[in-house]
Amino acid sequence: MTLLEVERLEAFYGDFQALFGLSMRVEAGETVALIGANGAGKSTFLRCLVGLLDDKRGAIRFAGQPIDREPAERISRLGLSLVPEGRLLFPSLTVEENLLMGALNERPGSWTLRRVYDLFPVLAERRRQMPNALSGGQQHMVAIGRALMSNPRLLLCDEISLGLAPVVVDQIYQSFARIRSEGASIVLVEQDVKRASTAADRLYCLLKGRVTLEGSARRIGLDQLSRAYFGA
Amino acid sequence: MRTRSAVVLLAAGAIVAALPWAIGEGVLRLLSEFLLMLAMAQMWNLLAGYAGLVSMGQQVFVGLGAYSLYLTSVSLAVAPYWALPIAPIVCALVAAIVALFLFRLREAYFAIGTWVFSEVVALIISKIERLGGERGMGLPTARLVDPRWLEPLNFWISAAIAAAALGGTYLLLRSRVGLGLMTVRDNDVAAASIGVDVWRNRLIAFVVAAAGCGLAGAVSFTATLYVAPSFAFDPNWVVEMMFIVLIGGIGTLEGPVLGAVIYFALRELVTIAFGLSAGWYLVGLGTVAIATMLFEPAGLWPLLRDRLRVDWLSVRRIPPPLPASAVALRRAPADAATPASRYDATRDGGSSRSAG
Amino acid sequence: MIWVETVVNGMLYGGLYGLLGVGLALIVGVMRVVNLSHGEFIVLSAFIGVSLSGMLPWVYPLALLLPVAIIAFGLGFLLQAALVNRVVTRPDPFASILLTFGVAVVMRNLMVEGFGADPRNIPSGRLAHASLAIGGLSVGVLPVFILALSVALFTALQLVLTRTRFGRIVRATADNRDVVRLMGVNPGRVYNAVMGLSLALASVAGMLLAMRSSFTPYSGVERLLVAFEVVVLGGLGTFWGAMAGGIVLGVAELLGLRFDPNAGPLYAHLLFLAGVLLRPNGLFRART
Repeated sequence: MTLLEVERLEAFYGDFQALFGLSMRVEAGETVALIGANGAGKSTFLRCLVGLLDDKRGAIRFAGQPIDREPAERISRLGLSLVPEGRLLFPSLTVEENLLMGALNERPGSWTLRRVYDLFPVLAERRRQMPNALSGGQQHMVAIGRALMSNPRLLLCDEISLGLAPVVVDQIYQSFARIRSEGASIVLVEQDVKRASTAADRLYCLLKGRVTLEGSARRIGLDQLSRAYFGA
Repeated sequence: MRTRSAVVLLAAGAIVAALPWAIGEGVLRLLSEFLLMLAMAQMWNLLAGYAGLVSMGQQVFVGLGAYSLYLTSVSLAVAPYWALPIAPIVCALVAAIVALFLFRLREAYFAIGTWVFSEVVALIISKIERLGGERGMGLPTARLVDPRWLEPLNFWISAAIAAAALGGTYLLLRSRVGLGLMTVRDNDVAAASIGVDVWRNRLIAFVVAAAGCGLAGAVSFTATLYVAPSFAFDPNWVVEMMFIVLIGGIGTLEGPVLGAVIYFALRELVTIAFGLSAGWYLVGLGTVAIATMLFEPAGLWPLLRDRLRVDWLSVRRIPPPLPASAVALRRAPADAATPASRYDATRDGGSSRSAG
Repeated sequence: MIWVETVVNGMLYGGLYGLLGVGLALIVGVMRVVNLSHGEFIVLSAFIGVSLSGMLPWVYPLALLLPVAIIAFGLGFLLQAALVNRVVTRPDPFASILLTFGVAVVMRNLMVEGFGADPRNIPSGRLAHASLAIGGLSVGVLPVFILALSVALFTALQLVLTRTRFGRIVRATADNRDVVRLMGVNPGRVYNAVMGLSLALASVAGMLLAMRSSFTPYSGVERLLVAFEVVVLGGLGTFWGAMAGGIVLGVAELLGLRFDPNAGPLYAHLLFLAGVLLRPNGLFRART
């Protein structure tokens, strides 16, 4: 089943147009990578999906239901979860409280506090600490855990490898296997092309708000990719 | 253009000079009040619309101006009009000193801080017997002026003050100080980073506004022949200034004129046409202000101006033409928090509704 | 001895001032809004208390605290939902203070027209004059009760914010209004509840003040300024700081009145201005 369908999406920040007729889809159970340089429109795209950007045109359908006019609060209850760029944890809440915030949606599913602590054991030790006492990688884990707590059908990850040591990124990517096995589909927004193409089934490449390449992650050549990434 | 403005100004001057003989005393009184209120509103506009300082205690300068006039006039036994210059001077000094305290407070806290200061001054003055304490004092030296000239003089002085307020603000804003002020209002961090002395620009605006309100207050109370703390330091002064500016159009020079007209029309309508007590016009004024803040935060003048396509007292600066290579930069993402154009002097109410 | 008594009584009333301020501190902390009609709602609550007390003369005035607080909660909810929520998202920091100032002016003058300008108060019967002897000092029973109630309410507020789900949601919304939407929370509704809570707390303070001294529709200004001074003195963003600020102001005011019976809030105001000059960040550092 097609979990997410986006048709000719256009997005604006005031006078400035960020996305130009973007179309893409995510099938249930897939992991899709969205790659592109800075300013290509990747984060804008994710914000449109979750309902944080109102000035947009085009169709977005989640599990068949149109969500392009829905407010963010309602979209999150449908099972679309975002791990935002920059993590954006709540600084006044402890690690555990941050995770609990993710559970407000009370959707059915297997992700609980215990399972999140299973996935990221280091968080269990630091459950009562404030986010700014954690390292960057650990904060990412909290952000992912928080998104998982709502038992999403589609998990959107915005640049989760940014600013982290490769070893830490490995650890986080390993957790995706677990997440996938529990039934979630994933959209990975990344600047690290190699990471993204290894972890994903399909990938899209964005350049200046347009899709320049689409296809199976393993079958796309480096040459083709760099042309799509940087523009010919 | 120059000769046309000169002719307009001369004609206005002639009208002002002749008016006291053309109309009755009651109407003259109302006009004087209108002009003084307009001057005070322009001062509040200078502070809030151009310097980014919202003052809720501006009445303190109205009262200080009035009291310094009364004290000087009575102590020196001179006609009140000779003592007028004291009012703005005293207020400017007080403003400069109290800025030391108050400028430490940001935004809303500065606003209420000015109010606290006003209450303090009112309380202190009501304890000074020399100034009549809570009961207040009269102006016996007004008898030194021929009663036939009292109202006309008040009117001419009020007109002069209103003209000075409008003209002075216009000139100030077109000057370097004015440009500095507007950058501070839009973004004080950015302004500081390009070398604009934020503190000094705000201080100038604060002192000028204090002096202006002090002078207007002094003239206002010369007409009433009586001053008491509850009238002199009544927060309703700043309520009226504020609402006139908000409804008319904050950050424009024409706005307060429109606002003052609406204010007086509303007041006369409510108290005379409907015969209701004075409190009701404040309810009406407050309601209009609330509606303005909700729906047209830029005020009514910008609406009118765009409809009529006029630009009378605009202090907008026209930017130089961009070179071709820089034209592409115009497509850069606009920050939702800044107004549409950095050269636009008017506070763009639309910016508050843009994507955020 | 009389000075010590004055200080002690000042501290006890200070709890009340703290309560006046904590409502304001709450909405400043959560939505960065200063509600200039805070004082008018305090006075309105007192008028409602007087009316209820008149309609139900057999009910002990202190028992009216809860119903009035509930009414105040509803009013706050409405104020936020209908008006303040529309300006909270604007980048202009003055939109909310100008709007609430308009509300204050309208309310003040409507109350004058509706209730009249005569001073009123809520009779508290024998309790107002009863006093205890504690350690050789004569201390009023009402002030002790007021302090106890203030501490209880402060503690309850802290507990709600730190230990409950609702409190968690409020803190998260205060941290980041956009991200919290990703978790299914509607920030507007959170704000409604918080404003309601703010005015409910203020109404308790308003009623208690009305038992201690008389008030008119114009008293809102004084209440607002006290609330504001408490918040700034205590340190923006801390609640127990607001309590401490309230106590300091309470002591200052009562001491000042001993020197100078007609001073009104003058000495409290002067202390505030001195505080601004010497410690502009308040007596306690803010949490966030």
